[in-house]
Amino acid sequence: MSVTNLLENWSQFRKSHPEGDVPHAEYKWAMSIDLDACTGCNACSVACYAENNLPVVGKEKFLHGQQMHWMRVERYWDEDGRDFPDQGAQFLPMMCQQCEAAPCETVCPVGATNHTADGLNSQVYNRCVGSRYCSANCPFKVRYFNWYDYPTTDDVWPAEMSQQLNPDVTVRGKGVMEKCTFCVQRLSAAKNTARNEGRSVKDGEVQTACQQACPTGAISFGNLMDTESRVYKQWKNQRVELDKEEQAKDKEEGGSKLRGYRILEDLRAYPSVMYLERVRESAV
Amino acid sequence: MAKDIREDISWAQINNDVLKSLETPRPLYWVIVTVALIMFLGGVGLEVYMYNMGMGVANLNNPHVWGLFIATFIFWIGMSHSGTLLSAILHLMHADWRKPIYRFAEAMTTFSLMTAGLFVMVHLGRLWQFYYSLPYPNERGLWPNFQSPLLWDAMAIFTYLSSSIIFLYIGMIPDLAICRDHMKEGWRKKLYTALSLGWEGTDRQWRNFRITYLTVACFLIPLAVSVHSIVASDFAMSQQPGWHVTSFPPYFVAGALYSGCAAIITLFIILRYVFKFEEYMTLPILKKTARLTFAIAMVWTYLNAIEFASVWYSHDQASKDVLIQKATGPYAFAWWGMIFCGSVVPLMLAVKRFQTNIPVLFAVSLLLNLGMWLERWMIVSPTFSHGYYPWAWDHDQWPSFVQWGMVFASFGWFTLLFMVFCKVFPSVSMYEVKEMVYHRTLALKKGGKGGH
Amino acid sequence: MIENGMNRRDFLKVLGWGGAAVALTGCGNTSVEDGKELITSYVEATDYMIPSIGVYFNSTCAQCDAGCGIMGRVREGRVLKLEGNADSVINHGKMCALGQAGVQAHYNPDRVRDPLLRSGSKGEAITWEKALGLINEKLGGAKGDEIAFLTGGMSGHTKALLGNYLEALGGAKHYAYDVTAPAVVRAANKKAYGVEMPHLRLDKAKAIVSFGADFLGAWVSPVHFSQQYARFRKGENGQRGVLVQVESKMTLTGANADRWLAVRPGTEGVLALGVINALGAAGLYLSEDVKSLVKDYAPERVSKETGAPAEQIGKLAALLKERSPSLAIAGSAVEGYAHGSQIAAAVALLNQVLGNVGKTIEAPANVPFQQLAPAATGRAALVALNDALAAGKVKVLFTYGANPVYSASSAMKFKDNMKKAAFKVAFAHYLDETALEADLVLPLDSALEDWGTFVPAYAGDVAQLGVQQPLMEKLHANTRGAGDILLALLKQKEADKYKGFEDYYAYLRTAVVQNKAALGGAGADDDTFWGETLSKGLVKFGAAGGSLSGKVSAADVALPAAAAADAQFPLTLIPYVTPNQRDGRHANQPWLQEAPDPLTTVVWDSWVEIHPKKAAELGIVEGDIVEVTSKHGSIKAQAYVFPGIHPEAVSVPMGYGHEAMGRYAKDVGANVLSILDPVADKVTGETALNETRVKIAKAGKRVIVVKEEGAAGGKQMGKKIAVRVSTDKVDLSEEV
Repeated sequence: MSVTNLLENWSQFRKSHPEGDVPHAEYKWAMSIDLDACTGCNACSVACYAENNLPVVGKEKFLHGQQMHWMRVERYWDEDGRDFPDQGAQFLPMMCQQCEAAPCETVCPVGATNHTADGLNSQVYNRCVGSRYCSANCPFKVRYFNWYDYPTTDDVWPAEMSQQLNPDVTVRGKGVMEKCTFCVQRLSAAKNTARNEGRSVKDGEVQTACQQACPTGAISFGNLMDTESRVYKQWKNQRVELDKEEQAKDKEEGGSKLRGYRILEDLRAYPSVMYLERVRESAV
Repeated sequence: MAKDIREDISWAQINNDVLKSLETPRPLYWVIVTVALIMFLGGVGLEVYMYNMGMGVANLNNPHVWGLFIATFIFWIGMSHSGTLLSAILHLMHADWRKPIYRFAEAMTTFSLMTAGLFVMVHLGRLWQFYYSLPYPNERGLWPNFQSPLLWDAMAIFTYLSSSIIFLYIGMIPDLAICRDHMKEGWRKKLYTALSLGWEGTDRQWRNFRITYLTVACFLIPLAVSVHSIVASDFAMSQQPGWHVTSFPPYFVAGALYSGCAAIITLFIILRYVFKFEEYMTLPILKKTARLTFAIAMVWTYLNAIEFASVWYSHDQASKDVLIQKATGPYAFAWWGMIFCGSVVPLMLAVKRFQTNIPVLFAVSLLLNLGMWLERWMIVSPTFSHGYYPWAWDHDQWPSFVQWGMVFASFGWFTLLFMVFCKVFPSVSMYEVKEMVYHRTLALKKGGKGGH
Repeated sequence: MIENGMNRRDFLKVLGWGGAAVALTGCGNTSVEDGKELITSYVEATDYMIPSIGVYFNSTCAQCDAGCGIMGRVREGRVLKLEGNADSVINHGKMCALGQAGVQAHYNPDRVRDPLLRSGSKGEAITWEKALGLINEKLGGAKGDEIAFLTGGMSGHTKALLGNYLEALGGAKHYAYDVTAPAVVRAANKKAYGVEMPHLRLDKAKAIVSFGADFLGAWVSPVHFSQQYARFRKGENGQRGVLVQVESKMTLTGANADRWLAVRPGTEGVLALGVINALGAAGLYLSEDVKSLVKDYAPERVSKETGAPAEQIGKLAALLKERSPSLAIAGSAVEGYAHGSQIAAAVALLNQVLGNVGKTIEAPANVPFQQLAPAATGRAALVALNDALAAGKVKVLFTYGANPVYSASSAMKFKDNMKKAAFKVAFAHYLDETALEADLVLPLDSALEDWGTFVPAYAGDVAQLGVQQPLMEKLHANTRGAGDILLALLKQKEADKYKGFEDYYAYLRTAVVQNKAALGGAGADDDTFWGETLSKGLVKFGAAGGSLSGKVSAADVALPAAAAADAQFPLTLIPYVTPNQRDGRHANQPWLQEAPDPLTTVVWDSWVEIHPKKAAELGIVEGDIVEVTSKHGSIKAQAYVFPGIHPEAVSVPMGYGHEAMGRYAKDVGANVLSILDPVADKVTGETALNETRVKIAKAGKRVIVVKEEGAAGGKQMGKKIAVRVSTDKVDLSEEV
């Protein structure tokens, strides 16, 4: 990026994507989570621990807010002060939203967090110096910092426990930031397989650990550039567009009958995770 | 009105008094140095502990990723504006009462920048990889991220630090020559000989000296403003409620000048006592400093009010929530403490009686500094505990002893550097005081009030 | 699925023939550095083993009795992660948190590694020969009925072998004990429908009313039900299903209900009859005897007794009438009270009048081999054993998969009674409370190292035999599989019959292969059939059951009058079965300790749920340590002010408060089971879990509750984060 280029195309550089361009040629990984199907059971979160070598920090550190769950299940109550929450609770699985215009990416002093060509918000552990600016600027607070050296001094995986660690995923040392990767190790493997066979990854060929575990199938994951993929169809059906901060649903007066939305959309981070509103019966 | 300095003081006496400070300070000096050293060593111990265990021992967490380290970093950056204010701004404005006190203010600039830099290092998760954030050539073509305000920060601080060292040094050259000429053989003589660069006091040297000094002074002012503006953009350029405020750069600069001035009063009083500088660091000068501080305090108060008002008018609910939370939440004591120390206490400086009352001024200056430190804390932490995402709200994160200890130790480190400097180099500018005395005498003869 | 090697071998993604026989060489807990590890050359690697490629072996999950099919990812001889087996009719490739944590049961650092013989208060490592010899010797001095075998849930060939052993011992008694077992539900179902566990078609129902059945969280077969629930919600039967949950303490299922009705503890049956009454009023045909049974249950009375709004009862009845077929499920309410069987009967009656029997309540698939069918677990078994122990009738006690010293109420004095047995043998993975009381501890292989077969506790429409096979070599050289131990013990008694089986694997293989015709392998040669069975990790058998009909009559329902208030112990204690901890056997799996409870988000500790009103009345705030006192003791735990509980009840989760069982379980929280009143269901004799009356008082201390929930306490503060929409504002029919 020469200075001349920068000056001449200034208005383009200010946008998250060049105008009129297809930002993602082959893949744009995205997710949709049906909150109506989600029961809040935590299977996704534990599956993530198993897949991604997440350390169990224990009570003392959990007390200090140093837990390391890439995927957390949030539980909300209604706020109208009824005696009982008689319409149940609301659960929300929350992980890195893989924003298209990620607030974390611009602020990292060393460029350790980047956007990949597949539309992932990647974290390069080797490059991270641990300034934690990305986390400070994350609207969702889904970035987790290695406050301790979990594998060594903290001995999170004593004795045989360390044999469970997934060799495809780095065990992070102290002082680096980490977060949900959309199980990038599985994506890379699937992409390599597909490339060797001269094709693209097919829908359903690769699953994230959380999606794979989810007993109610609330999580869909796939390639948004693939018009055959379930995720693409869901996004299209809900008329949610990746690079808009206001969706069809928000624009229509008096209810659009749609239920797809993204969280904190007005911040224009353009998350890659669409949630489908939880539905509750009006008749009881 | 009392005089800033006696006109009848002889040049020889000036030399004598200042050079004495290099040799025989009051015993309190050694007490201060010892205490500062212990504080600093305590901090070193804590850093070793944190380095081995991980940052978690500082009780940082998600969302409180920064805590006191960054708050104190801003505090010390702010402190560094004292020197620039007194040497450069007041120099350009021809306020000659600054002359007896600008040297130590410049030293403050340099050392507080060093202290601030220390916090940047200490707060890194991987201290040993700090050089990744510098744009150094490497075979992999990896560069830092030039979009990141943190990178601008690193560059601005390095530039400012090197410039202020140069400025401090250039301004000292004539005095170093005096030291050289008055010293007996020994390491000091060698040091001064080397550093004074063969200063003879010729007209040509003086002419070049003046031009250089003025140029660097002019260069330093925008730099000082930019440094703190950039520190402000660490916050203003982010997206978080309570940080995303356009008025942050001037607000930060005003705050910086404010805390710089307050710190000058503190150190003024200490130096005046330990180095027996009563003749030079006079009460009338203190009075002027106090008045200056008062003026800046009011500017800061105004900018503070602007910040609140702009939050109010912005209709950004998240920012409003942060502000309300600051005033009513668990941080209320610190926030109101900041308002009290930063906006109410300085009102005492408007009272003439207090402007020359050393104990009162000393106490007030400490309170002002406390207030300014609280301000920085109140910029950093409440936003973390009350960001956009309610699930991650967390009010109960109090810094652990590691964070507090590091803050404490930073004062030790700063004091240590500063006190050693004052013992090794003349902390009152001899040649400028002579100049001041000369101008005053001249003016007296002409019946004027003195000054340029 | 890693790298290119896999392309050529896609067909090998799931393969299982061989299992441990494929000699998964590799890691013990030794290292190359200390020279103890065998370095295997991968140049000529075993088949299907490619360095850096994960290979999947099918097996069966042993974390609970649901019997989900699992698929273990094995790489370089280590099992790394468990996934669901897509072929399994139970879980269709899905997994719960509990199942995921199975690897932590296997790699747990606190496993028992050698047979331990009590010597004083310590355990002394001995050889297997000595251990087995000792058992034989001690058994010699005991008559058949003086020998007792206490187990948890059991099925498959291990159970068959155990049955044979007990017979060989001359009629030793098998006590199958599980504190969370739906024992009363099973008995009531048997009466009402003729089967213990009918096939509940959640997916067919258009409306479900569940009386405390936490089928999404911890009840019977949560992964299976969760999948059905998803289909029920998607409206695969034409209309989006509506879930109404009736309970006193909100469970995970309650939290997902469209309407959660908080009822006074023990009044679920009253509500069920009230709904029948309302249905009759709304025009549904009721037979005369039902009419006369429910005539007194007018909405006002029911509302007064249960605390549920009368208007909601009407709405519920209208919903059930309109949306047919519906389904009423009786769950923990039935296990909870002395009149639990009556509650179950009332719920069954509701199903009957709604005409659900045969539509959403179907006959389950038959398990043709009763020897393999799941043992009927319950809490009465422990009471019976305890009585036998107390009377000194048990000389030799075996325990396997049950931890009664932990889970028995202190009122039973089980620990003391157990001492009366002269010789106590514990089959154990870890030194839990019961193993510590044993004279001899036999270390078991983990579920990922062992052979076995499982029949799921809940069958669904196809019965299946889950095959458990080793996913890797044993971590510890000196542990043994339960089947192997039983076989060795059997050989002591009936050497002739069992001498043909070198080990349990040989036994199992022979057993399965011999029966291949019944297992769908008619005509296949033995090796192929066995290989395919291992590869699939399961075999399906059994035809669908016949038809069901409701057999409840109004005369079977006789709800007692509301219990009088107890001034000394004013509150009802509800021990909560959490989805992650269940009865406490998983307390040493750190993922499960660190996974927040879905409702309170508390981790690594017990808590006492108190309704905000009650808390305000008692001056209790979150984090106050409160003392919960029953007639049989007291426990202390942190208070959690929780809106999802009836003000007349408090709830404490089960599974915490272990005094042993390793570093992750010990001293975490308090054991609510220890203070339960030993009240039994009047019909079945099963201990009623919610019949304990307690009082609570602040104990003085206050702590910060360690939980995932932040300072906003589950509020969204006006932000659009987790959004809810009502059915009339959304069009689901167009959705993908």
